[in-house]
Amino acid sequence: MAEKIKEPVSVSLIFDHRKRKTLISHVLWHNQPYKITNQGLHHTYKQGSALIHVFSVASDTISFRLVLDSSSLIWILEETYDPNFR
Amino acid sequence: MHIDLNSCFATVEQQANPLLRNRPIAVAAYNSPRGVIIAPSVEAKKLGIKVGFRVMEAKQVCPDIKILEPDTQKYRFIHLCLKGLLLEYTNQLEPKSVDEFVLDFEGAPKFRSGLLEVGGEIKKRIKEEIGDYITVSVGVSTNRFLAKTASNLRKPDGLEEINYVNFDRVYSKLELMDLSGIGKKNLMKLNSNGIHTVWDFYEASPHRLKHIFRSVVGNYWYLKLRGYEIENYKEVRRSFGQQYALSKPVKSLPELTPILTKLVEKMGFRLRNSGYKTQGVHLSMIYKDNTAWHMGRKTKRIIYDSRDIYKEILRLYFMSPPKDITLVGVSCFNLVQADKTQLELFSDISKREGLTQMLDKINNRWGKFVVSPASMLNTKDQVLDRIGFGNV
Repeated sequence: MAEKIKEPVSVSLIFDHRKRKTLISHVLWHNQPYKITNQGLHHTYKQGSALIHVFSVASDTISFRLVLDSSSLIWILEETYDPNFR
Repeated sequence: MHIDLNSCFATVEQQANPLLRNRPIAVAAYNSPRGVIIAPSVEAKKLGIKVGFRVMEAKQVCPDIKILEPDTQKYRFIHLCLKGLLLEYTNQLEPKSVDEFVLDFEGAPKFRSGLLEVGGEIKKRIKEEIGDYITVSVGVSTNRFLAKTASNLRKPDGLEEINYVNFDRVYSKLELMDLSGIGKKNLMKLNSNGIHTVWDFYEASPHRLKHIFRSVVGNYWYLKLRGYEIENYKEVRRSFGQQYALSKPVKSLPELTPILTKLVEKMGFRLRNSGYKTQGVHLSMIYKDNTAWHMGRKTKRIIYDSRDIYKEILRLYFMSPPKDITLVGVSCFNLVQADKTQLELFSDISKREGLTQMLDKINNRWGKFVVSPASMLNTKDQVLDRIGFGNV
């Protein structure tokens, strides 16, 4: 089931300079750490002049839509999806 | 070369969310029982779910299907990534829609490597650089029509060529409706004139085809089927439009005003952003009783300001029958380049133009609809961003 969340979240990010790729390694949400095992898509869009980064990633059991506003550097968890929860 | 992103919106969603991969999913205009499916995933297509199905119909076929609403930013981003990658191969690139590209390799250095090899390389790079779940079908031939036909031969993840060696074999396997441009009407025309297969179609003389289609279109088909290029013209923008299907029927103007204002604001913003002004507006409506009404009119002067466009639209609205509206659409036509301004005797056009430009600048800087008419309040979740067929 997909759930709209929209709340701040802690995120660990790694930048691999050789592959020039940004990867999310862990998400801490409601004191529960999630190890990210699958990087889905990193896309960006403009909201006015602010560049918004959207990281769609997944742990083994749950997927997250994480949004980083490049002007404030605050991470927001916008949505989760748990296929086993109905 | 024709490149087609397979089940575009659904595949991009599966790329973004790994937990949705290899499962039947579909992107629908609205996630409600009557919402229309615009992109079923490859897995959903295998179950028989097609574009145009209602969500409730898809759920009857597959109760577990996951329905998603469109995320246009994501699709535009993938489109731009793909465009950037393809531009490395040829500068003669034409996006036909958000998920289709046509590449002309005439004179491009890569042409010498062989287009099937180039197609294979593009497919590999898409997986490595854009998304490992994204697949494209590539078609190669001597004209756009045959390249598109080739890209449809094997889906998903195809790479096919139609050339002078294999065209007879390909034509003998295809049905008339497999050809892009042959719908039910054209099929009836061809069948009633004794053409039942693609091979019959190919063998028909230009004179006979001209007689069947009653226009030069017959000659075009004769040439297209023989691999000649007749579609290498630049498409020119002729209009801008927005439309919105209302969640419940609306009869009175106060109820319709917020939606109408937002449609006009969006259209006006796109018009000015593309460097145009307009001298014609059009209003269309579909009613609860399934009847439709539309009217367009040329305006006396060239307009660009959303407020002026709204006034003209309102004039048209007052001529419409007072019935329950379920869908409303606005558009503007007779476009003129924005640098042409007709000065007026009794009003300062430049002052007004400056104000409009400034408002657009604020909205560009701080986000769409930061400054907008008060009548548009409470429309945040209505008239959402959409990608139309054939547009990006």
